Order: sequence, then structure tokens, then C-alpha cells
Amino acid sequence: MDTPPFLRMSGVRKRYGGVTALAGADFEAEAGTVHAVLGPNGSGKSTLLKVLTGVVAPDAGEVLLEGRRLRPRGPRDTLAAGVSAVYQELSLIEEFSVLDNLVLGVEPTRFGLRDTRAARARALPWLERFAPAFGGRVPADERAADLDPGERQIVEICKALVREPRVLVLDEATASLRRAQVDVLFEVVGELRERGVLILFITHRLAEILALCDRATVMRNGADVATVTVGETPERELVELMSGGTPRTPETDTGTTGTAAAGAGSAAPAGARTDASRVRPRAAAAAPGGEPAAAEPLLEVRDLSGDRVDGVSFQVRPGEVLGLGGLQGQGQSELMAILFGARRRSGGTVLLNGRPVHPRSPKQAVRAGFAYVPGNRGAQGLALGRPILENFALPSVGRRAGLGVALSRRREIAAARAVAERIGTRYGSLDDPVSTLSGGNQQKIVVGKWFPTEPVVVLMDDPAKGIDLRAKAEMFAVVAELAAAGAAVVLGASDDRELVEVCDRVLVLFEGRVVDEVSGDRLTEDTLIASSMHIAGRDTGTGHPEATSALPEPDRAPAPAAGTGTGGPAGAPGAADGPAPEPAPSDPGGRA
Amino acid sequence: MTTPSRTEAPGAAAGAPPPPLLLRAGRSALSARMPTLAVAALLVVTVAASAVLQPNFFSAYSMTASFATFLPLATIAAAQTIIVLAGGIDLSLGTIVTLAAAVSVVLMDGDDARLPLALAAGLATGAACGLVNGLVVAGLRLQPIVATFATSSVFGGAALLVLPQPGGEASPALTETFRMVVALYVPVPAVLLVLLWAAWRLLRRHRFGQYLYAVGGGADAAYTSAVPVSAVRVFSYTAGGLVAALAGVALLADSGAGDPTLGTELTLGSIAALVIGGTRLRGGVGGVGGALVGAVVLSLIQGLVFFAGVPTDAREFVYGCIIIAAIALAGLLTARGARRPAHAGGPR
Repeated sequence: MDTPPFLRMSGVRKRYGGVTALAGADFEAEAGTVHAVLGPNGSGKSTLLKVLTGVVAPDAGEVLLEGRRLRPRGPRDTLAAGVSAVYQELSLIEEFSVLDNLVLGVEPTRFGLRDTRAARARALPWLERFAPAFGGRVPADERAADLDPGERQIVEICKALVREPRVLVLDEATASLRRAQVDVLFEVVGELRERGVLILFITHRLAEILALCDRATVMRNGADVATVTVGETPERELVELMSGGTPRTPETDTGTTGTAAAGAGSAAPAGARTDASRVRPRAAAAAPGGEPAAAEPLLEVRDLSGDRVDGVSFQVRPGEVLGLGGLQGQGQSELMAILFGARRRSGGTVLLNGRPVHPRSPKQAVRAGFAYVPGNRGAQGLALGRPILENFALPSVGRRAGLGVALSRRREIAAARAVAERIGTRYGSLDDPVSTLSGGNQQKIVVGKWFPTEPVVVLMDDPAKGIDLRAKAEMFAVVAELAAAGAAVVLGASDDRELVEVCDRVLVLFEGRVVDEVSGDRLTEDTLIASSMHIAGRDTGTGHPEATSALPEPDRAPAPAAGTGTGGPAGAPGAADGPAPEPAPSDPGGRA
Repeated sequence: MTTPSRTEAPGAAAGAPPPPLLLRAGRSALSARMPTLAVAALLVVTVAASAVLQPNFFSAYSMTASFATFLPLATIAAAQTIIVLAGGIDLSLGTIVTLAAAVSVVLMDGDDARLPLALAAGLATGAACGLVNGLVVAGLRLQPIVATFATSSVFGGAALLVLPQPGGEASPALTETFRMVVALYVPVPAVLLVLLWAAWRLLRRHRFGQYLYAVGGGADAAYTSAVPVSAVRVFSYTAGGLVAALAGVALLADSGAGDPTLGTELTLGSIAALVIGGTRLRGGVGGVGGALVGAVVLSLIQGLVFFAGVPTDAREFVYGCIIIAAIALAGLLTARGARRPAHAGGPR
């Protein structure tokens, strides 16, 4: 190449204590492209991009933008150079209005004072551009804290765009977005690409890479492994690169590539479609030909009601993994929170082994045999600043205390080691704070810490959000182990593919009610999507333009064949009619 | 790429229902106003009670005396608010008040001609003390509560060196101006109080005013948004020190003499005042306006306890109880307004 690349990072090194985050990574990207940065959790991709944005100071290495050396002392300098980022951890001030957040740090001034009119003029067009992602409204004056997580992520993206970047870093920016929101984002990214902006894109969703990215750089162990042109690389190879390239169970690979390829439908020669293959074998009961109905239900829920949960009934047998599917925010989280005693129950009964239980606090729930794995591991699952040891020990510490009070450090360590080994967590020392671990390893601890309490029912609320394929597979292996030990697992997931791969049975929720139950051969992504759209689709009426063909996220989007049962337009209510997939209060779901 | 191409939100007009938007906006407005309402209600109650219990409460003389006692506490509460908003706290503010007053009174020594110099020196002292605090907290990254506890001893000790015992003589021009009434009825301290508030509004409109809230609301988020976090912290302590020095001058003008011990109890009073005024101790929420009213409420309560005929020995006790009630009321209303779902089930 004659001209130097638009962006070049070379020999970037960074160590945190004993952990090497970056071991001499090189990276190049051209303006006007969408460039994916892939790799397992802890491979250093986030750190690499944080070096670029100036949040992390590298120990060695240099960054060249248009041939000029970038020596940032902080995000201020990189922002001035035209690099703007959407981080995984949100950077919004909760108490500020959306508008104030958008212009924070770049407030236009007049006579030395903030010029709110100019700020509005600058930020509003972006909010208006993203209006479909906010359900058609422009929430300029709402508090950031009052928005839902997906909307806040959109605000975060607008905030990066208001800074008029030449390099836009999207770090897992789509993880908490609904499909309609992803659609808008991808449209905007396409426009930016045409204007010569370089977009760096971190995601674990293969389909998004296929739909959006021109090039992809794969990171592993703190260094770059390969840079490929997405269009010329078979999915199978991408998946292998992404998942760390280490040998994995054949089922997992074909399963993932198969569904991805089938869903994406883009220029894909693709591996064989093997929807039926699973990450793990079905529950023991189902395996030897017998119907899974054989065993007595371990957990039985009758008519459970509460905030955003409306008369839910189901049964889970020992060793069974029950999925909670449907659109986002249809009461899945709330249902689990009620079961765990973290939210109030307004009606219904819960039977555990045939005996009614009514935990009024998480503590009582744990005593009854429940365990809870939240999706928001930072806020609810872990004490981030505390040592790994303590996090492992926390839920079960009372059981090991001699005479109920005395703790032996040796016993604590032994217990923690045993669990860590069982779930395959890598760590430096048990005394390191949990925050030093990568996201995937943190999430494993959130799951693993329940092992010593020997839970009977494990509630998991989107436990795999934002962790890579490999860590996801390992974590679900941990889930399978729990199930194999006779526990009943209730799993909520925002990713339909996860549900298909991991669950024996999936309940589809809509506005707090169970609207469908999918199991056996019906348990495919297509069915789940059709089922979760069923009611929403009926209300949206007709007419949606081009959306189906452009849908970038096949794990949500109905494949062309999928929409059949629901009557054509069901597929893309999000794109055509903003508020539909949201639980909009006016939406007469009660009709169902 | 200034303006992105606009697309119509399809179906927004027909499909998007207005109620959730109104509801959201309403909830936002209510939660933002709640602390203000609380402190306003407290002000009305205390003023009404004072008017009943204190004869001639609204007379020109009584108003002047009242505002003269409000002003020092209100000023130091304003200083503390600036610091707390940015996520800090300053336990040395009281001794900064003392030191600034001591420096001023020693320099002016009862001479009107030396008044400007003495005032400038006092204010500079306050700002310098604040700068020290800011550098210790932002530069050395010490916990503000411990760091400023230590510096409070330093400043208090310095005040004792400057003015070993109560005494000195403020310039007559200063004390006389302070006692004046403009436009027949409005006492000068009240005017100063309004000026203080106006200065705050000006700061609030400035970038740094906004940055105070950003840093207090989320320092990491502010840092990644290119807010100069350390500079904002240093600024908040320096501005706080400067305003505290103003409180020192006000005290001096009110009492006419210096006292190396007089500022100390104001520190905790300032924190109580800002909490009553709806400022969140974690930072990022609140404002100087509320703190000023909170300080007035606090002073009025002190007067009420006196005029209600509470026995001398029991006064402190009753005063304390009423403050707890006031803070609890303010806190309750604030918490109710800003409540978020207790169990946010995580994004799905």
C-alpha cells in the first residue's frame, strides 16, 4: 500500500498488575469502512480501543491517525482529534437531561456562558434521526435515568455522533438494543461510512458482523491474529477465529454457523443448516426416547402475578432447562425477580417439591433453594471491588461458619478453589478484586458462587449478555452441569438462539402473560420469533416497507419463511411502526 | 456531517401515543421540583411560626437583624454546596471562614482606608485555602472527608497564629454598611444574599457550573465525555474557599470583631443547610438556591427555639431534634421524587 493507513496502531502493550491485556497488538483500518474487532472476552479488544480513545494509557506502542502520532493524555485529546467512542459501560450522567448529556464536554458557549439554544440546534438533529429508536419520540428533555437501557444506549450513540467523529468506536453498542433500534443504528452507520468515517465495531453477534462490516480484525491473548475481509471469509472461519480457534465440540460449531448462515441469508455459502444440533444434549429425561413429562415437577408456578407479571403458570422438572422468551421487557425479568423474592408477589402460588413457598426476600429464597444469576453482573451479581474469594463465598458463607460465626480462611479458600476449578475460571489470585477479571470470567463467578448452596432452582436473567461465544458456551456448560445435578433451571435470554440451544422448553411471554409454549421440534428460532411477534403483529396493522430484506440481525428477524403463521406484516413492526415492540401502555395487549 | 439526513418517524403521528411522553415529562419535572417544594414548604412554615412567636418579626429592624444572622450561614452553605455538588465535601470550610476573617480584621485594624486591601487579602486567603484543599483531594487523591479534616486543623492553627484571641476591630464603614437598609425596608444583608444567588445563577450558566453537576453525578462518565474532572474538582474547592471567605467577611461585619473560633460550628451547619435545601451529599443533584433557603430555615429554627421559651438547657436538644425532622422531611420528599425501580431487572 502506498499511502499510510488512515489509522494505525502498532506494538501496543498494556499490563494490569500480573495480567497482560495487550501484548504488542498491531491494528490498521481505513477511512470509510466498518471494521469489526473480534475476539473472546479478555482478548484485549476493549483495551485496544480504550488505548485509541485515550481512556487507557499504553505501556508501549504508538497510535497514528492519518500519519500523525496521537499521544493522548485523556479522552479530551482524542476527542479533539476526532475519535469518539460508545463504551460498554455507559457514560451518561443519570440526572442530566438527554440534551445536556449529548453536549456534555462540548457545550457551545456564547459570551462565556453555555448557549442552550446552540446546544439544542446541534444535538436535536441526531435525536430526530434516531426517533424511530425511541418509539417515535424525541426525548430531548427527559432525564437519562428515566430512559430504558436500550434508549440510553441510543443516547450514548447520539452523544458520540454529536462530537462529529472521524473515527467512531462502537464497543458492544448493540448488546442492549431492540431490533428496531439496531436497524436505525445500522442505517446511520451506513451513512457515516459513505461520508468517510471509520467505524470500529465490537460485537459478539456474528450476524451483525456479516450484515455491517467490511473488514474484521481478530484478537486473541492481547495480540491481533488475523485481519480479514468479511465478504470473502466463510462464516465457519469467522466463528473459529472469534471463538478462539481452539477445538470445540462439533455440535456447537455447526449449530452456531448453521443458524447464523441460514438467518443472515447474505452472500453465504455456509455450513449445513443443523438447527436441531444443540450445545448440550437435552435433559436426561428427554434423551432415551421417553417423553420429558415423566418426572414430577420440581417447581410449579400457578397464576403468579405481580408488577408486569400477569397470571403466569408453568412447571419445571428436575434437570430441565426452561426458557423465557418473547420480545424484550415482557415481564421475564420481573417474573424471576418475583420468584426470587426481590419483587412483591400480588397473587398466585409457587410450589417447590409440592410444598408452597413464598420468599419475601432474596435471603429467604436462597434458604428455600433458589439461586439467581442476574444479567447486570456489575450492579447485582458481584461486589466488584472485593476479592474473588469473597465473591465466591458470599451466598454460602453461613453454611461453612463454625458455630454460625467463625470463618476459617483455609476452608473458604478450599471451597472457592473447588468452585473455580469446576467452572474453569482463570484468575491471578483469589485475593484480586473481581473487577480485574474479564467479563466472561466475572459472569462465570456469578453463576459459580451458587454451587456451594446446592440450589434446587436456578433463575438466570440473560446471563450471557455481552460475553463472547466461548465464554457463553462454557457458562452454559456450567448451567448444564447444574441441571444434570437435578436442579431446575429457568433461563431468560434476549437472544433467541441461546434459548434454542440451551433450553428444553421455552415459554413465550407477552406483556406479562405466557402466550405460547414451544418445545421439541417446534423449538427453533423461527418459531420463537413468530410466536413473540404474534400479538404485536396483530396490532400494527399493515404496510411495512423494505425492512425484511435489510434486517441485519437474524437472531431476531424473521427469516422470510418464518412469518407465515402470523400474517405477513408481523415480521417488521419495529421498523415500520416504532412503538409496537415496546410495551407501550396504549397497546391493548389485554385483547389477547 | 453536521446534520444527519432526517427521516420521518414512520407512524409516529398516528401510532405513538402521547400519554407516556407526558407522563415521563411530568415525572421528570416532579422529581426535579420535589426538593424545591420541600424546602419552600419548610420556609413557609418557619416564617409563619416566627411571625406568630416573634412580635415585630417583619419590622425593618427585626428584618435587618435576622438577615444579618442568616447571611454568614447561608454563604458558607453556598460554599459547601459548590463543593458537594462536584462530589466532594469540605470539613475545613469553617476554619477557612475563621482564617479569612482573622486575616481581614488584623489587616483593617479599624481603619476604613485599609478596608479594600484587607477584604482582598481575606478573600485571597480563602481562595488559597480552597486551592490547597482541591490540590490535596484531586491531586493526591485523598478521601475528601479525611483530607479536609486534616487541613481544617492547619487552617485553624494558622488562624490562631494570626489572631491569638478574640479581638481586633473591623472597619466602621464595613459594619455600618452591613446594618444599612436600602429602599426603606430592604436590609443590605438581604441584598447580598440575592447577589450571592445571582452569582450562582451565572456560574450555573457557565460550563464549569454544568461540569460541577457532571463530575458529582458520575466522575467516570464525565471523564470519558472530555470533562476536565481534576480541574473541576480543584475549581470547586477553590470557589468554595473564596465564598467561605465571603462568609468570614460577613461574620466580621456582623460582629465587628474577629474571633479565631467562631467559624467552626458553621461547618456542620452548612452541611445540614444544604441537605435541607435538597442537595444530595453524593453530589450531582441540588443547587445553591436550595442551600440558601435551607440556611435561612435553619437560622429561623434556632430563633424559634429561643422565642418559643424553651429552657436554656434544653435548647440545643430541641434544636437538634427539629433539624433531624427537617432533614428527614427533605430527604423523604427528595427520595420519593427521584425514586427509581428498586429492582431494575437488567436490560433484556
